[in-house]
Amino acid sequence: MRRIKIPIGPQHPALKEPISLRMTIEGELIKDADIKLGYNHRGIEKLAESKTFIQNIYLMERICGICSHSHTTCYVQGVETLCELEVPRRGLYLRALVCELERIHSHCLWLGVAAHEAGFDSLFMYTWRDREVVMDLLETISGNRVHYAINTIGGVRRDINIAQKERILEGIQFLKKRIEYYTNLGTTEPTFVARIAGVGVLSKEKTMSLCAVGPTLRASGVASDIRKDDPYAAYSEIPFEICTADTCDVLGRVVVRVKEVIESIKIIEYIIRNLPDGEIKVKAPRKVKEGEVVSRYEAPRGENIHYIKSNGTDKPERLKVRAPTLANYPATIEMLKNCFIADIPLIFAAIDPCICCAERFVEIIDKRKGSSEILRMSDIKKRYTNKEIKRDAVWPF
Amino acid sequence: MNENTIIDRIKELLGEKVVEITLQRSRRIFLIVSPENLLETIRILKNDLGFYHISTISGVDRTKDFEILYHLANNQTSLTVRVSVSRENPEIQSVCEVIPGAILYERELQDMLGIKVINIPDPRPLVLPDDWQQGNYPLRKDWSYKSPEEKIPGEKQ
Repeated sequence: MRRIKIPIGPQHPALKEPISLRMTIEGELIKDADIKLGYNHRGIEKLAESKTFIQNIYLMERICGICSHSHTTCYVQGVETLCELEVPRRGLYLRALVCELERIHSHCLWLGVAAHEAGFDSLFMYTWRDREVVMDLLETISGNRVHYAINTIGGVRRDINIAQKERILEGIQFLKKRIEYYTNLGTTEPTFVARIAGVGVLSKEKTMSLCAVGPTLRASGVASDIRKDDPYAAYSEIPFEICTADTCDVLGRVVVRVKEVIESIKIIEYIIRNLPDGEIKVKAPRKVKEGEVVSRYEAPRGENIHYIKSNGTDKPERLKVRAPTLANYPATIEMLKNCFIADIPLIFAAIDPCICCAERFVEIIDKRKGSSEILRMSDIKKRYTNKEIKRDAVWPF
Repeated sequence: MNENTIIDRIKELLGEKVVEITLQRSRRIFLIVSPENLLETIRILKNDLGFYHISTISGVDRTKDFEILYHLANNQTSLTVRVSVSRENPEIQSVCEVIPGAILYERELQDMLGIKVINIPDPRPLVLPDDWQQGNYPLRKDWSYKSPEEKIPGEKQ
């Protein structure tokens, strides 16, 4: 059968962010997949070298809108190590609290999107409604819904009081009931399970060799979680379990995330009931001692790593950021192979490819020479109509 | 296995290949090797000590040379393998044949610092645009960007 290449993105109605997927298909089967990045490259690493350590907290926060707390925590705990600061225990607990609330909101969002892609829109609407509860709690604590700005070098910027504690407990009690209902629904509802089981399978060995992280790795039966392997903030004192699944497919990834939300709720209860008294931050120096540090953090999507090198001034010499999604791309390409076109949105979760409106490529085969080439519609127009495409249109006055 | 046992095992397995090994703080080991021993080192670390995961590869421009850091990890600790390559001829062996998951980080290294990765399975640019001018490496310290003057259509220039 003839192979056809379908580009999806970078601008696409179903894609919320610009990324280009190129699928080589044979009939309905995906034979090869390729990912092209760089449409959203903002040069943050270069920019960070020209900003002070304090300014960089807010720059790091803007790497991602969903896991904004992950990047700042990863960054500030690296800088704290360089400055040899001892963060007060209450500060560490509050950091972990926001971190777990963020994980709940991120997983609820993901569960909704996954349900939507599987055609289960009621679940999507329910999870997104309940996600508002977490967003409100985050607003109660930090004053913001998205960029919480709660971290600072040396601790956190806001404390919580008894009324806030009660509100958090009330909120998570409600969530607990809802999530238990979704766990039941997501893993037993026959139509939903039939749609997601056995889709996007990736073996344990492959997942490990392709260095996948987070729920993708844990759904393939690898018990790896930075919170346990390399405890930061208050996690060495908080009891919790690593959630894994061994089905290695989309069902496993749903199960892992739902279980993680339940674990997060338990962690939050523990933090609220065992919150130590005392200060929430210590004063940090403006200039950071010369040195280098590797900081790791378990973001909702997986391992987040920052490498910070300082040269004794108030600006970093080098700041390297690796967000978890980048680590999962090689694994995603492998998952897509030999799946159906209809499974792309599920495997790519948030991506819904509208094949018919994607830009089309045409393969031209020269029968006499036996050669073939792949061309864009616009190239063919150029070649055969010999008309220049007008660019940089001039304003009409 | 704690950090000191791991360090002893690394010394034992790698022998003379180890230029320097330090324990920076708990769960952070830094190992320096020479660039020609890199692939063999990574292979031994993966097969005998279980460092199967590569978190990322950081490249640092130290003006006189480039430093490349391979952040490896297993379930107990994080290990950073450090090599340095000359500025005149920045070349490094690909580690993809041992750890296939390193591909995107190596492509990023080629793009942003202009370090040539030998035997890389897929040498295409990763993050830079298709019409990017050759020889411009944004993360080098001597590279800076001047944004072109803004032209607003209809305004007098």
